[in-house]
Amino acid sequence: MISKTPKPWNAEKTCWNCPAAKFKGNVDFRACGQSKEKIKELQESKEVVIECHRRKELGHFEPNITFEQCPEWKLNKNYNIYMLRNMRIMILGIDGYLGWTLALKLGKLGCKVSGIDNFFRRDCVMEKGSHTLVPIERMTERLSAAKDVLGVEIDFRKIDIMDMDRLKGFMEEVKPESIVHYAECPSAPYSMVDAKHAIKVQKNNVLGTLGLLFLIKEIVPESCLIKLGTMGEYGAPLTGRPLFEGIFPADAVMKWNGREWSMGGELTPRDPVSFYHVSKVQDTFNIYEACKYWWLRSYDIMQGVIYGVHTEETAKDDRLRTRFDVDEWFGTVINRFVAQAVAGIPLTIYGSGEQIRGFIALEDAMECMVRLIFSPPEPGQYDVVNQVSGLHKISELAETVAKVGKEFGLDVKIQRLENPRVEAEEHPMEVVSKKLPNTFGFECKVTPEKEIRRMFKVLTKPNIVKRTGEKKHVIYPMTRWSGEKEKMGVLEVYEPGTKLMGGYVGKLRI
Amino acid sequence: MIKMTQEMVMEFTEKNFEKEVINSELPVMVEFWGSWCPPCKMMDPVMAKLEEEYAGMVKIGKINADRNPRLRNRYNIRGVPTFIMFANGKEMERYVAAKSEDELRKILKRIYQINRQTEKD
Repeated sequence: MISKTPKPWNAEKTCWNCPAAKFKGNVDFRACGQSKEKIKELQESKEVVIECHRRKELGHFEPNITFEQCPEWKLNKNYNIYMLRNMRIMILGIDGYLGWTLALKLGKLGCKVSGIDNFFRRDCVMEKGSHTLVPIERMTERLSAAKDVLGVEIDFRKIDIMDMDRLKGFMEEVKPESIVHYAECPSAPYSMVDAKHAIKVQKNNVLGTLGLLFLIKEIVPESCLIKLGTMGEYGAPLTGRPLFEGIFPADAVMKWNGREWSMGGELTPRDPVSFYHVSKVQDTFNIYEACKYWWLRSYDIMQGVIYGVHTEETAKDDRLRTRFDVDEWFGTVINRFVAQAVAGIPLTIYGSGEQIRGFIALEDAMECMVRLIFSPPEPGQYDVVNQVSGLHKISELAETVAKVGKEFGLDVKIQRLENPRVEAEEHPMEVVSKKLPNTFGFECKVTPEKEIRRMFKVLTKPNIVKRTGEKKHVIYPMTRWSGEKEKMGVLEVYEPGTKLMGGYVGKLRI
Repeated sequence: MIKMTQEMVMEFTEKNFEKEVINSELPVMVEFWGSWCPPCKMMDPVMAKLEEEYAGMVKIGKINADRNPRLRNRYNIRGVPTFIMFANGKEMERYVAAKSEDELRKILKRIYQINRQTEKD
């Protein structure tokens, strides 16, 4: 049987999606819409025409050239997607777990990668008294290793996202065609420590992003902002209402008092579960509004809980590895479990362990990012994707880590602790994640078992076992949502495989 | 007329509007939309479903209000999505804001019946 490669996912996108197309000054976008102003009278002969930043020789033309037709967009057969030649991509938060990993991947794909970081994450992890279990180099050495090993040159500046003047200068110099925004504090517990920490998180995340939106409007209004949000923005509604991709579908109807209305296109309810998550919700609204007011374009990614250590590029050389935090502030749950298994301490489940969350492995998350970057939205388009490859119960993940740990000769136990968080411990969970597979061609390649195995391979290296042992005390949760400074009590310690699993089952709609 | 995939509705433009809408033998439902309008984006699957359901009875399509400024002006579009029902080239009804599938179905049914009645008369 001959299998036919499907048409590239973005082949029929046109200049309307391309960041090289200059709309500003050419197209009167606000002539209709929700504006109360009188519509401008257009001359009957006026056509919609634009210019191209990359192909100035074309002059003014109708913006109907498809990616397939345009010589600036080249087919990448591995991804089966058209990629903008030498696309200029700026990563904010490039030194972080995701930022560094993505920078290497994009660099290998031929993009011109630039980025900023103020080493906030390194400082916060140090504040906790921890370190990344997988050692990482200083930025100068990382950049040099990227060049030596992968041939990737990254234009890095140490800039705080709150320093708008310096960020402005760098954006004017680079003129990014896509901006990936990872420069936010990603920790719920960190935001719940005390007022100082909560304010620091909200200031950096909310105001940093707001300033960025103004800079994009001024400098690169045609670029796409790809912003990292979180599934935690939605919460876990006890009604079992599906978690749509940020916006209600048109056939969602509100009924009241014998009447009904379509909810199509309206933002779905948010129920953030910490002050950090509140900052992400605030971002969502700010970005949504900026797209509406200024014709910006953005993908807001509701990412599931990230885990893992592996991508093709970071695995090439120890100097290219990304950070791997497991402390109670910055370690995500699967990463923490694997470190606890290696350190010989019981895996810590909060409360019943029946909480269901969306997850995605590092490698899959990076694949999603590539696909989003090369399929930009249209002017003014704000869109949300739920970036999740599976739904899992926390207690079941602990069992999986214990099972894989056995392959590495580890005897793993599990313990239930008092829950430091204020959250439903038993709840239904139905997540809609249709856009990435159906609109962007994403296929999940990494199961939790596969990635947990990779993590054990890395974490059981002698130098990392030593680093894990040194910091095993910082994995234990100390930050209570109530603000009380009291160590979480142990409710139960048990052997893997001895618990009866039941209750709700997560439903992923793809 | 462009129809890219099964889930996408036909696009009318300034170039084919006279032929496909004004001179159409069938009544036509047109949705004026914008890429920046989430409710418009969300109407796509509903419109595609109804297009299939009403094939041969009512023609259904979309017009991008930004890309077709002359049509936008001609029909004085002040908000999107705006649904305009045409019969024999004339505007019969218009509705602004997203509609549920059932609401649109009722509108389509009515416009189809009016058109049939007119033909009989």
